[in-house]
Amino acid sequence: MQPLAELKPVVDEAIAPERPIIQVSGLDHVYPSRDGPVHALSDIALTVGEGRFVVIVGPSGCGKSSLLMMLAGLRHQTAGTILCSGRPITDPDPDRVGVVFQEANLFPWLTAIDNVAFPLALRGVSRAERAARANAMLELVGLGDAGGRYPHELSGGMKQRVSIARGLVQDPPVLLMDEPFAALDEQTRMAMGEELLRIWSATRKTVVFVTHSLTEAVYLADEVLVMSARPGRIVDRMEVELPRPRTYEMMAGAVFGRLRDRIWQQIKAPAR
Amino acid sequence: MSLGAMSPGAVRTLIILGVLVLWEALPRLGLVPMLFLPPLTTTLVAGFSDWRVYGAALVVTLTEVAAALVFAVGGGILIGAFVGALAGPRRILLPVFSSFYAVPIVVLYPVFTAWFGIGSESKIAFAAIYGFFPTMLATAAGIQTIDPNLVLTARSMGATPVQRLLRVILPASIPTLLAGLRLGGALVIVGVVVAEMLISAAGIGYLVTSSRTVLDSPRVFAGVLLVLVIAMGFDMAMRVVERRCAAWGGGAPAQVPRRRPIARETGQANAA
Repeated sequence: MQPLAELKPVVDEAIAPERPIIQVSGLDHVYPSRDGPVHALSDIALTVGEGRFVVIVGPSGCGKSSLLMMLAGLRHQTAGTILCSGRPITDPDPDRVGVVFQEANLFPWLTAIDNVAFPLALRGVSRAERAARANAMLELVGLGDAGGRYPHELSGGMKQRVSIARGLVQDPPVLLMDEPFAALDEQTRMAMGEELLRIWSATRKTVVFVTHSLTEAVYLADEVLVMSARPGRIVDRMEVELPRPRTYEMMAGAVFGRLRDRIWQQIKAPAR
Repeated sequence: MSLGAMSPGAVRTLIILGVLVLWEALPRLGLVPMLFLPPLTTTLVAGFSDWRVYGAALVVTLTEVAAALVFAVGGGILIGAFVGALAGPRRILLPVFSSFYAVPIVVLYPVFTAWFGIGSESKIAFAAIYGFFPTMLATAAGIQTIDPNLVLTARSMGATPVQRLLRVILPASIPTLLAGLRLGGALVIVGVVVAEMLISAAGIGYLVTSSRTVLDSPRVFAGVLLVLVIAMGFDMAMRVVERRCAAWGGGAPAQVPRRRPIARETGQANAA
């Protein structure tokens, strides 16, 4: 049995010794619906340190994806501020933030390499530089020889790798990932988690990763933020003190189990 | 060799050859009166001996088809895209257009001849409207099938509204546009020929009707053959365009077949 003290929310505790790169304060979101206004997010405050891997976990419909879309500048909050590298995020800014979605969302009429190069093409980067940078990104995600294939010729895991390469191609300091492996089967999902950690350690990006999988959260994160059911609030924040590189064996260990259980204690009450 | 062992192409050729042989043989053997079905060779001789007349009629009909095609397909795709993409116009206009589509527009053709005369103008106007509604409705429906996540993804990369339109929405609509072009084109050919048969003084449809009134069956069938040639020519032109656009195969609405993978599979089957 867990000591109760450990279950107490520790939201106000500052545990980001690194330079903060994302700072969210007083974030509230209310949107209208047929049944009246819906209070989706309530008083969200969080800080993400540079180079950290932060996972936001919470029950379905808690607004964690909405929060991520706001960090990406793709959706606007009702109240509160979001700072990235010290400046507010109001619109998408690929120089500061790259986004990977749940579906790979590759453009089906472009080859893998052209998909990766797409953000560069939008900004008028020269053809030669586009090809070189896109190729380097495909190499990074382990798809160096698949550049000429169209999305329908790639497996689900490969598509998501191309999507990650595309999110990284403009070299933003922050990568936002919205349940990127949720549509994949269990084995692919495990392999992709491992792969993502490898890519992360090679690039040292700051990653904010949304998931509803407790195991995925503990396996990947430096720090886990737990959100409550609607209106979404951050009810717990914990450091994952497991060494890196993370291994499959750690999942059976006591530390992993304890952290996983602590998240579950926070989520299960409202889910019942 | 059984039919099942032959390639679809070979079977198709066999069927067409069979039809042509029957066309020649049935009237020659006296199984079908020559008035109802003149033999193929008689028909061809009638057509070629009058090549000047048929050539002139072909020019008239093709010009009308081309002009009507511009209005029907151009207008249909433009207005269909507008109506399909915007919720407001869609709710207001789509029901109206759908009900118009159900009206047999051919009843309006006599009115058209009163307005535009019995020359080419009335045929163009009639065929343009005849082809416009289905093209417009198909485009409006197709535009709505574009994955909104693709647009969201482009936004996350900082794509401007113009870039989103030109680099995402437009390429994503190509299968829809091609389907619209195919549908509109076929109906425009029908519209022009029918209009020529009803009230006119020139064109292939006129030749067919005027030959029929004097019971000159070979010339009637020569006209029918010429219409068939136009339709097949249009179909072949569409195939060329579709093949060029279909390199990326998957991810598109079902109208565009996945040509590449099929070609690869059959290639492997042949090699094995």
